[in-house]
Amino acid sequence: MRVAVVGIGKMGLLHAGIMNAMDGVELCGICDSSKFLLGFAKSLKNVSTHDDFKKMLDKENPDSVVITTPVNLHIPMASECVEREIPFFLEKPLSLESSDADALVESIEDRNLVTMVGYMMRYVETFQKAKEILASGALGDLINFNATIYVAQLFKTGKGWRYSKKESGGGVVVGQATHLIDLLQWYFGKVDYVSAHTKNWYSQEVEDFAHAHFEFSDGVTGWMDSSWSVRHHRLLEITIKVNAANGNLIVNDDYVKLFLDVDVNGYQAGWTSLNRPDLFEGVEFDVGGPQYTKQDKAFIEAIRKTEKVKSDVKNAHEVQKIVDAIYSSAQKRGRPTRVE
Amino acid sequence: MIDRIILGHNQFFGVNHLAAQRGNEKHAYFNDTSRIKHIINFSFDHGAKAMMMSTHERASLVAEEILHDSRLKDGLGIYLLVPYAAKYVRQANEKGLVNIVKDSLGGTTFGDKLGTFWRGGLGLISKDVKKLLVALIDFEVAQYAKLNLKAIFLHDVVTDLVLGWDVPNIFEIYADHVQNKYNAIPAFCTKNLPKLVEALKGVGIENPLIMASINKLGYQVNPSLDAFEACLKSNKLQLLAMSTLAAGYLKPKEAYEYVFSLPCVESVVVGVSTTHHAVETFDEIRMQIKKRQQIEEPISS
Repeated sequence: MRVAVVGIGKMGLLHAGIMNAMDGVELCGICDSSKFLLGFAKSLKNVSTHDDFKKMLDKENPDSVVITTPVNLHIPMASECVEREIPFFLEKPLSLESSDADALVESIEDRNLVTMVGYMMRYVETFQKAKEILASGALGDLINFNATIYVAQLFKTGKGWRYSKKESGGGVVVGQATHLIDLLQWYFGKVDYVSAHTKNWYSQEVEDFAHAHFEFSDGVTGWMDSSWSVRHHRLLEITIKVNAANGNLIVNDDYVKLFLDVDVNGYQAGWTSLNRPDLFEGVEFDVGGPQYTKQDKAFIEAIRKTEKVKSDVKNAHEVQKIVDAIYSSAQKRGRPTRVE
Repeated sequence: MIDRIILGHNQFFGVNHLAAQRGNEKHAYFNDTSRIKHIINFSFDHGAKAMMMSTHERASLVAEEILHDSRLKDGLGIYLLVPYAAKYVRQANEKGLVNIVKDSLGGTTFGDKLGTFWRGGLGLISKDVKKLLVALIDFEVAQYAKLNLKAIFLHDVVTDLVLGWDVPNIFEIYADHVQNKYNAIPAFCTKNLPKLVEALKGVGIENPLIMASINKLGYQVNPSLDAFEACLKSNKLQLLAMSTLAAGYLKPKEAYEYVFSLPCVESVVVGVSTTHHAVETFDEIRMQIKKRQQIEEPISS
């Protein structure tokens, strides 16, 4: 399978590396606007380089495309792939605003085309295990949750597209909290209402802090706090704590802890604690964490079997609608806002 | 000959592969570099005369202290790990990949060094990858060059990206430069040992020094424990074993018994954050090494 990558930044380097190492997959072309990066790649590797996306598709005719560009370029590039019936992987988030993606989502509806959006937390062992426990029903009715996503990243005005609203769509909510929002949606289903507050401090155009309360369709409620400007978090860290009728569950990047009042569905009463080493499974090739390999493998295998993946464009569109509601509510000082 | 016991550095800089929370707490504790130096001196007194060091912001302060201590300056072997990947991931999020290279190499020292070549702009410089890579290595090593550098390890994120992109000539450029300029052993950290061993063979790097996670639980061992062990049995390499305690899951005795039962294991990285267990750990390692030597060279001979 021949894969072309557009956008050779941090994530483009990563996905290209992982996929190129897979059996039967070959990196056939790369596209970027930076002559420096293209020149660098060209002198290292015999790969065809392009500065025009459509021309690359014309010339390389790839079997799949990886789109790792700034967010404002996602929709036009993804639409081009749909038109040409090429399966694509798109780094998250999907778009600047959810309405930007409406036509794209509609155009994919009636096609049997594999798409995936890079919500890779679903492939982290602990979050996967938590999903399994929640889906088992052992906890009984879910009552509420609180969740945080923090990283110590920005303590001065940021440079580059991530901090320009026109290119990124927003700040920490769309840039990072979407990982958490995707997990919450995966765990608890559809969100009906959102109330949110945001705050700029280091950035001029986008928010550095956000706090949001969610009401889910099936009655679960809970809040999320997010920031990329919290000290002492070397890596991006997500924690979710769930209260339920039969007990509670705590999950983060390092462990899952389950507490049950009584034995249910094969889970024992009291604390069950699973750490990453308990859940670890080796992968064929690891760059930057096994979750990326598992995600990219799911994408490639879905193309081979023409099966859809759960974390597709449609799912990412739902995440985007929640983001829109967060920004809209925050502008009205937290007024409850319906997720369309 | 590489040191048998190498003091790890992760705990000083908040890296904890089991619990980020615990890592963050240790990061705060070791904010006072004198606490780091105390551990280094204590370990040195107990025979662990080598240390891993990443190019973390805090590491340069530790390096300064070592340079001002005549005993450590010459006596402590430094195993440097470059580049400090987490910093670049953060910077890539903050300003993008191209700006990182521009800012790193645009500083006066390196701008001057690259001279007219640099003034030709990034478009030109990218055509000479070798020169660019060498400049990036020098940029990372600069603050540590006066230390007693035994080996310089290429960080696993870079090593593994090179493997993924299948551009092993970078390994060659790296190895030549580290050997010639720093007179240190060029070494590689990886999460994909079997694949790396094959790639290094391909570019003629013999008996390489490689750092990789290995423990009997198979935690952080790719692609599987079986494949990893098979690679050690059928290749010539020097393994510096890390994550030997599986992030604290294994007791030192069972952990080191396993690790030193494997071929090619030359040395271990040990994370010490208190002096309390350090001596016990060092003794356990020495005992396992001795046990292995007795098996390899029976006393009767």
